[in-house]
Amino acid sequence: MDFDFSEDQDQLRDAVGKWVQKAYTFERRRSITAEGGFSAEAYRDIAELGLCGLYVPEDMGGLGMGPVEGMVVMEELGRGIVLEPLSQALIAGALLAGYAPKELAAHWAPLVASGEKMVVLAYQERASRYRLDVCSTKATKAGGSGKGGDGWTLTGAKSLVTAGDKADAWIVSATVDGKQGLFLVTSGASGATTRGYGTMDGGRAAELQLADAPAQLISLDGLVALEHGVDVGIAATCAEAVGVMDKTLAITVDYMNTRKQFGVVISSFQALRHRLADMKMQLELARSMSYYASLKLNAPATERRAAMARAKYQLGQSMRFVGQQAVQLHGGIGVTDEYIVSHYFKRLTQLEMVFGDSLHHLGEVSGRMQDSAGVFA
Amino acid sequence: MDLAFTPEEQEFREDIRAWVAANLPSDISHKVFNALHLSREDMQRWAKILGKKGWLGHGWSKEFGGPGWNSVQKHLFEEECALAGAPRVVPFGPVMVAPVIMAFGSPEQQARFLPGIASGEVWWSQGYSEPGAGSDLASLKTRAERQGNSYIVNGQKTWTTLGQYGEWIFCLVRTSTEGKPQTGISFLLIDMKSPGVTVRPIRLLDDSVEVNEVFFDNVEVPAENLIGEENKGWTYAKHLLSHERTNIADVNRAKRELERLKRIAKAEGVYDDTRFRDEIAKLEVDVVALEMMVLRVLAAEKSGKQSLDIAGLLKIRGSEIQQRYSELMMLAAGPFALPLIREAMEAGWQGDAVGALHCAPLAMTYLNLRKTTIYGGSNEVQRNIVSQVVLG
Repeated sequence: MDFDFSEDQDQLRDAVGKWVQKAYTFERRRSITAEGGFSAEAYRDIAELGLCGLYVPEDMGGLGMGPVEGMVVMEELGRGIVLEPLSQALIAGALLAGYAPKELAAHWAPLVASGEKMVVLAYQERASRYRLDVCSTKATKAGGSGKGGDGWTLTGAKSLVTAGDKADAWIVSATVDGKQGLFLVTSGASGATTRGYGTMDGGRAAELQLADAPAQLISLDGLVALEHGVDVGIAATCAEAVGVMDKTLAITVDYMNTRKQFGVVISSFQALRHRLADMKMQLELARSMSYYASLKLNAPATERRAAMARAKYQLGQSMRFVGQQAVQLHGGIGVTDEYIVSHYFKRLTQLEMVFGDSLHHLGEVSGRMQDSAGVFA
Repeated sequence: MDLAFTPEEQEFREDIRAWVAANLPSDISHKVFNALHLSREDMQRWAKILGKKGWLGHGWSKEFGGPGWNSVQKHLFEEECALAGAPRVVPFGPVMVAPVIMAFGSPEQQARFLPGIASGEVWWSQGYSEPGAGSDLASLKTRAERQGNSYIVNGQKTWTTLGQYGEWIFCLVRTSTEGKPQTGISFLLIDMKSPGVTVRPIRLLDDSVEVNEVFFDNVEVPAENLIGEENKGWTYAKHLLSHERTNIADVNRAKRELERLKRIAKAEGVYDDTRFRDEIAKLEVDVVALEMMVLRVLAAEKSGKQSLDIAGLLKIRGSEIQQRYSELMMLAAGPFALPLIREAMEAGWQGDAVGALHCAPLAMTYLNLRKTTIYGGSNEVQRNIVSQVVLG
């Protein structure tokens, strides 16, 4: 029972932290948002640090690292509210290496790891909300119709695909005779069209339309694979949120120790100090549950799913509180675009609603509840 | 980074579990599991069983006859006891005054007082708060005037937990009014059988007499009962606060009570009510998060690091969770929590409790636990401390 980071993990944290500080300034982020919410250059920078291959095995060109390394890296990116979606690369790497047929994995995993190709998850549909098992996109086995004997075609519509119109390929859930499968579709495939848009946090997403689009099979056990991929995403998002909250608290403390009213710095006022104490509480509860999520990511599926639900519920609660109170404690400037804290608040707001919000996960926790209690239950 | 306990720690846990199973009287654990009334005899019986094993002072160093356990072992011991339904150890002797005697007392004082504490034979009380000195403890007024070889003590202590059973009381007393209030306080050990000591119980809202007022009317206390130096008492008392960090979160008990809440909710038919079940689910996550925070503090102590800013959060969160599970248990019983039938809170009662028997103590427990956010440094004071650290 040990919560220390290894020297390697500390060095990884340092490297990412330094890149964020030097190369991903608030001004750069602002211009990325203005240009659509995604920068291929920034994604390349992240790839050059080796991060896109964190969960790809070494013999496929990745770093072959584990959830704790993922957690450390995502936290640092969260601290700089980086828009480019490393969590998607982590998901793609894990799914390709863990579930795809050997040839498909051998071809795509190295490309994900190097950053040459960006692959993102496309599972959400208008009707599915946060559920993973609601899927009306259909997969049909292609046979002798000129699209390849072993191949598949997909028809349907996916929503809220992170940086979806900038991706080189999508991992798409689709049903085969009513049972969910998981497929890979390359951008530029016939019948695949996207409509990109900015998101409320300054990032980018897209709608994906598929009309008999050619696809390669990743797994016929698609729901199991998708749940695993989403859990990788949840653990990454929890870690990212801790970084965002940590920095949000630091910004707020700084402000309160500087801003004077009534002749004193506003950090003198007890009501505001207590608010800070409550924010600190939420941050540490969140950090504790982020550790929990990462440490449970390699547990058997049932245990893992239950753990991610618990973690995402806590993180959602914490994110919302810390974000809201940070704005509140800044007074008027907290709601301006010019000042930085609203951007942290918006990122926290968005992250709560990615991979299931608090209420959704409360339902999951509730549904999975056992007689026993505690971390080791 | 690893969540699992080491094989050695697991083995330690299993040894403790076996010992507790063999030595904890089942009539006592029955009362604890069902929140029934525990008598003085019950509490002292368990204390003496632990004392005989050398585990009443389970946090004591080997130098003083303790088992010399590290932070993880202490946590596992406390957990196994709590999960098995052992009563909370009355802390005033073994956990509060003993460390002060060990750190600041003379060899004579150690030889005189520690054995009685370690064995569970002597019941100790804490004399800190006064009617005018609660959160502002340093403003205490109970006076100790040196006269020859004695101190003459005059004043009043309040909120003295289980003081009606106390044989000795350790007191913060004022020995000087010069300078800042903290610099005029001494740490004095007083025999409660001394002439001039009067104990008066305070009835609490749950009808229990868990706390007392203790009056000192010209009580003569031998000067050799002073711990350390005069006017250094505040420092000694603060030393106490830098210990027992994770125990205060009471997460082990929280796990046991959460399991009990689920049983009660099922029995009362509300476990399948979505809205009620969701409230339990929230608490479920709260308990996991608290336990993770406790483990982080323990792991930090284990690797010799400062557990920083997190330890201050444990009391706040732990007390809120205690209040919440007691609240939900009462709400699970619903209207059948309302009858106040005292006999039903005693073990072995066979009558009609109006609701199920498990409903009988729930309202009183809920009322009693409102104290948890107030004592041990109110949660408002704790937030002052947390925010001070955050603001730097």
